[in-house]
Amino acid sequence: MQLSLERVSKVYRGGVQALSEFQLELRPGVLGLLGPNGAGKSTLMRILATITRPTNGRVLWNGTDTASDPDSLRKVLGYLPQDFGVYPHLSAQEFLEYLAAVKGLEIRSVKQRIAELLELVNLTEVAKRPLGGYSGGMKQRVGIAQALLNDPQLLIVDEPTAGLDPEERVRFRNLLSELSGERIVILSTHIVSDVEAVATSIALIAHGQLVAHEAPEGLLASVDGKVWEVLVPSAQLPALRLAHLVSNTAHRSDGVHARVVSDVEPVGTLKALEPSLEDAYLAALAFHRIDLPAATTRA
Amino acid sequence: MTWQAIWGLARADFLERTRRYSFLVTLLFAVFLGFETATGKILIQLGEHRGVYTSGWIGTLMAMVIGCFVSLIGFYIVKNSVERDRATGVGAILAATPLSKPAYAIGKWLSNFAVLAAIVGILAIAALLMQFIAAEDPDVNLWALLSPFLLLALPAMAVTAALALCFEMLPGLRGGVGNVMWFFLWTTLLSLPVINKTPWLDPIGLATVMRSLSVEASKYIPGYRGGMSFQIQVGQHIQVADGLRWAGIDWGWQRVLLRLFWVAASAALAIAVSCVFDRFDNQKASAGDAFGGRQLPHGQGVKSVAPLMFRKSAAAHLTPVRTDNFFSAFIHTVKAELILAVKGGRWWWYAVAVGLLIAEFASALSVSRGPLLAVAWIWPTLIWSGLGTREGTHGTQQVIFACPGIVARQLPAAWVAGVFIALASGAGAGVRLAVAGDWSGGIAWLAGAVFVPSLALTLGVWSGTGKFFEALYTALWYVGPMNHTPGLDYTGSAGGLAALRAAIVYLALSAALLALALLRRRVQLRGSR
Repeated sequence: MQLSLERVSKVYRGGVQALSEFQLELRPGVLGLLGPNGAGKSTLMRILATITRPTNGRVLWNGTDTASDPDSLRKVLGYLPQDFGVYPHLSAQEFLEYLAAVKGLEIRSVKQRIAELLELVNLTEVAKRPLGGYSGGMKQRVGIAQALLNDPQLLIVDEPTAGLDPEERVRFRNLLSELSGERIVILSTHIVSDVEAVATSIALIAHGQLVAHEAPEGLLASVDGKVWEVLVPSAQLPALRLAHLVSNTAHRSDGVHARVVSDVEPVGTLKALEPSLEDAYLAALAFHRIDLPAATTRA
Repeated sequence: MTWQAIWGLARADFLERTRRYSFLVTLLFAVFLGFETATGKILIQLGEHRGVYTSGWIGTLMAMVIGCFVSLIGFYIVKNSVERDRATGVGAILAATPLSKPAYAIGKWLSNFAVLAAIVGILAIAALLMQFIAAEDPDVNLWALLSPFLLLALPAMAVTAALALCFEMLPGLRGGVGNVMWFFLWTTLLSLPVINKTPWLDPIGLATVMRSLSVEASKYIPGYRGGMSFQIQVGQHIQVADGLRWAGIDWGWQRVLLRLFWVAASAALAIAVSCVFDRFDNQKASAGDAFGGRQLPHGQGVKSVAPLMFRKSAAAHLTPVRTDNFFSAFIHTVKAELILAVKGGRWWWYAVAVGLLIAEFASALSVSRGPLLAVAWIWPTLIWSGLGTREGTHGTQQVIFACPGIVARQLPAAWVAGVFIALASGAGAGVRLAVAGDWSGGIAWLAGAVFVPSLALTLGVWSGTGKFFEALYTALWYVGPMNHTPGLDYTGSAGGLAALRAAIVYLALSAALLALALLRRRVQLRGSR
């Protein structure tokens, strides 16, 4: 089982470059796709889900080009888009039965699976009520259930925890971990803690480019010994932000305790800190911005 | 503050519309109308004559084109302003501002009017060009040429703009029901001055033109008995009455005031209808997208369910699933599409459908295959208009398009479900024809049942909206099955060889339409590069 992206680029009408020469190779496990808003995550997800075709480059599923034979991937694909709708007059059960039919699944075996999925996302009690009356979080759970209908080998979830409360988010992360055994799961988000909890590898994306693709440990190692707790008076915080990458701040009675990522120890350092994935993420993006040509950075 | 808000709202709405691809199509429609009129395909006819193309005649002709055609099509073009605010969520933002409902309505009315006025502007340019192209009268009288645009066309557009807004703000008319109803309201509006014998009740200005022209025509056309027809020329021989060099309507202050009255009445109508506008409060919504008009307020009825979280679980123990063989999967997809199509209507919708079916069985064959079948096949219009558009309307496109076999299985299954609905709703007439041994009538019936969903599917897939089918099909239904226009009666109610011939054409047309729909969906699925 292998998903390969070979120099994938996407240019929208008007010349907007959403993806540029994106290269990635994936095997079973959970890939956390991290990037700021507008980085190109959703475009990449749509290309992988065969909704959009790349302008250049190829996406290969087990060696087959998904642009020329999209159904080879669609048969084993589970996709939860960032924004999706439901048919408001169908119940959750009917909606899942409808999608099972559209996916060409055998009706006898799928009925049992639908019941289990509804149980899994805790919608059994409301399974027969029209979806038009569901809250945003409940619709999101219907979306998660539909993505798992066909026991997908490739599961793509785009901002899946949007609309879920903190407890639901934790449950969903656990669900993803459980599912990740013999399949490729791609989790796109800008919430670092979601990725931190479940990802076996992380891809950082910014300005449509792949900034880094590493195991979480590798990313953390890149900022090892570069994270500091610095104490500064409130008035000097803007100057500190200008000089260094500040990943967090906390106002205390003695001043502002800032979490700083820096190659050199800043003035006012209280102690060195254990790096977090958020530090590594922010540092990678900051260094990427510095590397970009001025015009791209302004855009 | 209010005027500033109205201006800001109207301007933003107009700019948003003009930057959409659909506005370009609107302008092309205007150019097409102008071309057809300028080349003599659309004309005002007095018996078998027409007048010389003077500035007055051309200006009035173009204004009539606007009053009669643009009012019909323009309604569908502009009836999406409030809906867009609802769909994009901008409405909720506006609802949280001090903007009053009347101010919102006036802003939207002005925006609707501006879009329609753009069409008027293009046709005004076409009128000027037409006078040079026709070259029947070298004297260009700008007032005679342009006053019909100002005093006939623009007030008619103001009325259309206000009515489109009404249909969007009145809960029962917001969806497809309104699109179908508009056709009948439009025909009523055109014939208002004739029906009521009250010349002032004439928003389009037809009676004003007719009176003015008749007086002049009776002087120059021998045997002219009054009356005027405004029509599309299909091979008729029309003579030019050389002496009839009409200078246009004599706009006295009374006539001008009467036309301005319609502009004021339109603004008043927009303000009046804003009183019942729900101000984007979903909890109040009672009408919507489903046939019969039932919409479900968000969150209602299921909020009490607890706890909102995932079960500890079990993902590892999910029952494995198998893929079905093609035939079995196709049958299941047809069944699923059928459930999706007919679910969500009100009880009375089903009651009327069943009543029509019973009446088809119980009535004389001529009634059953004639008016009853026609009514039975207009009743599910809003079900058919969902064919090929539901995915876009409800935002399920990404989920559905990521499934395998959309072109090979899902879209054909949706079409079969549509055909099944036509067969079921017209089953009474079909069975009666079979029992009577009228096989040509039976084939015509079958062709009709195949044609209607094919038309719906193709228009839906290509346009992305059910509105196009709702408008076109209602008009076709009116001129075809209801008025028995030769070749357009897809129900084959006339029977005999002519109906059989037409049936063969409709079957071939259906096949072509289906192929077009599949082709388009295939392109959509490939995605844009």
